[in-house]
Amino acid sequence: MEIRPELTLQEKLHILADAAKYDVACTSSGADRRGREGYLGNSVAAGICHSFAADGRCISLLKILLTNHCIYDCKYCLNRASNDTLRTAFTPREVCELTVEFYKRNYIEGLFLSSGVWKNPAYTMERICETLYLLRSEYRFNGYIHVKAIPGAPDELLAAAGYLADRMSVNLELPTGESLRKLAPNKTHKAILRPMRMVSDTIAEHRLAIGKSAQMERSGSTRRLGGGIFSEAGRQIEERAARSRPDDVGLLREGQTPARGVFSGESRPDDGFPRTGILKKTWTEGHESSDSARRGLRSQDGGRESFVLPAELRRRDLQRPFVPAGQSTQMIIGATPETDYHLLKTTQHLYQTYDLKRVFFSAYVPLNEDSALPALGTPPPLLREHRLYQADWLLRFYGFHADELLSEERPDFNELLDPKCDWALRHLELFPVEINTADYGMILRVPGIGPKSALRIIQSRRHGKLDFPHLKKMGVVLKRAHYFITCSGRMMYATPIEERYIARQLIGTNEKENWQIRHRNEGVFRQMSLFEDFQMNFYG
Amino acid sequence: MTVFTCEDTFEAMMTCVYDAWASRLGHDNLRLQLEPVWQQGLFCDYVHVDADFAKAAKVVRAIQRKISYEAYRQVFLATMSFEPDRLDAVYRFLVLGFASGRKLTQMLSRPEVVWIFELSRKANTEANYFREFTRFSQVGSVYVAHIEPKCNVTAISAAHFADRMPSEYWMLIDDNRRLAAVHPKNQAFYMTRLTQEELEQLRRTEEEEDLYTDLWREFFESIAIEARRNSQCQRSNMPIWYRKHATEFR
Repeated sequence: MEIRPELTLQEKLHILADAAKYDVACTSSGADRRGREGYLGNSVAAGICHSFAADGRCISLLKILLTNHCIYDCKYCLNRASNDTLRTAFTPREVCELTVEFYKRNYIEGLFLSSGVWKNPAYTMERICETLYLLRSEYRFNGYIHVKAIPGAPDELLAAAGYLADRMSVNLELPTGESLRKLAPNKTHKAILRPMRMVSDTIAEHRLAIGKSAQMERSGSTRRLGGGIFSEAGRQIEERAARSRPDDVGLLREGQTPARGVFSGESRPDDGFPRTGILKKTWTEGHESSDSARRGLRSQDGGRESFVLPAELRRRDLQRPFVPAGQSTQMIIGATPETDYHLLKTTQHLYQTYDLKRVFFSAYVPLNEDSALPALGTPPPLLREHRLYQADWLLRFYGFHADELLSEERPDFNELLDPKCDWALRHLELFPVEINTADYGMILRVPGIGPKSALRIIQSRRHGKLDFPHLKKMGVVLKRAHYFITCSGRMMYATPIEERYIARQLIGTNEKENWQIRHRNEGVFRQMSLFEDFQMNFYG
Repeated sequence: MTVFTCEDTFEAMMTCVYDAWASRLGHDNLRLQLEPVWQQGLFCDYVHVDADFAKAAKVVRAIQRKISYEAYRQVFLATMSFEPDRLDAVYRFLVLGFASGRKLTQMLSRPEVVWIFELSRKANTEANYFREFTRFSQVGSVYVAHIEPKCNVTAISAAHFADRMPSEYWMLIDDNRRLAAVHPKNQAFYMTRLTQEELEQLRRTEEEEDLYTDLWREFFESIAIEARRNSQCQRSNMPIWYRKHATEFR
């Protein structure tokens, strides 16, 4: 399929936004940066959503592909080489114009640039870098940029992109090697994890060089907890477990590749100030192998000279922090037979080993007819995706470990109850919790209490006894919490601490939400079924 | 009972707090109320207070020094909310605050503190929403946006946009309060009241359409996944009343 230059900008936007929409990450969070005179844009750590599309997902960034040309043939993808779709590409200038004009009108918070693999990974990554460089230099754009790292591209290009962008991501796509081989024959985990390792090491080294800790900052609740997956103790627990069970599910193996950050090893500057000179040396002399790869590349695409190498970045670009908003990844769920346990273990492993900022889950939407995939028209597993995100939050903000939520014997989430309620019901021996004396970590584990309300509780109880009306004002969801807490020794209602009773009550509370998530795409009315809709086979 | 009244600006409200405090009538014998006062109480004296910048500054400084910056932030946001009794709520909050000091904002078991906490949270949430859902349209070299917030969040949102677009000419207009934040290129923004005629003239800027408004609508349509359509989720994330001035819903 040839490039069709006669397409208008609007048609191109239609094609390339449509092709990019299955990528779920659309957050503008993690980087805090003030605006500067003469430049356009700032960045707010909490992230800003600018609109919500008809599917209820937020629109924060201009999410587009640079091109939907692709040499790969991943079975699940709309843009696979064997699909007969209209192929097109943005010029770097078109992307810049769109970003800047949308940004000024407050439509978006920045750019999310991804791409199909055009000719080869190096060529694609080079086009991406060229676009970002133009946007940062000529268009003086200071807003948020999320860029996809293309596995297989030379390290220099990944590093250049890292200095220009706020967040980078490499999609893991599927949690196991077999699934990946089956559905994405051109990709391997080794090739995907190598750039991920390289980026995370370079982030850590950059952070050390500017006097921060090597690990990314985590939320306040995680720091206050001490035992979560990001803490030193949490990591050690996992390491011990991994050693005792070497064939543990969910753990990705990188193979023997000694993948390193750009600054690591001998080329690490002693003074701790990686600046232009050192980087120049590192990138142009230190990496002969990839240098020769690049020479090969030049001969392939006819010796283009508009190449943006880190050595050619201006001083100001190199003073930018390297990927300040961290790295993320995403996994497709529902296309392959992995269990929730497997997915959650993989997620935790990615957080601990690669220090990722986020792991996203994408409920598989059937787009292609293929014997290896669910049939067209299969509804996407939205409730499962929802449960995984709930569990992801429990890992990142609530101090839970994957093994507490699921196990080999119970590998999937309870459809009727959210993971936190489910955990609480299996640990009724720990409840009820006395709000006026319990520690932060335990209060945080009560269903219906989040990090903010838990903090408010421990701050305000110093100045006076708390009671249920106070908790309600602080934002505690009492309809879930009241089974598990006491205030000054009294429960809110006379409820038994009994698993079957509480489960029945909570399922009643959850039922409406679950039904809405599961059926939100269906027509308005349908025949009611007593046994299916009301889950007559109650929990336990 | 003596009732101190003032108009609905931050300076006037702070001056009112100052005068009420300085009257030495006793906190239980006075009330603060915003103008206009529709129905006067039978056994009340009404004292009108005019804004006085020096007195307001004293109150602000006292809150920041003797209580905390966080308490000042909450007071400011609470005065921007649309609760009719907000001025009296602020006064009760401060009476407790000057007695208890730095720990005030953590004392969530006290109703005075919870009341201001809720008002400030409401105003802050709305300010964040307007940071997100405000849409500018280009008129020549100026970008103009219209909003109709319930809380008076124009100044708070404008501070965000001043950081975001320091080198553009732009204007953020609250259509209901006829209040505008005007930002000249590379300068600080200022607030101004608009007359009815000015507002009518500026209202027309919203109909301005160009290539990028069309492209944005195209993008907005293309980015939604049909198999996941969920208008209920969309509505709860972006309630309908926020959409009035949003380009993609017009």
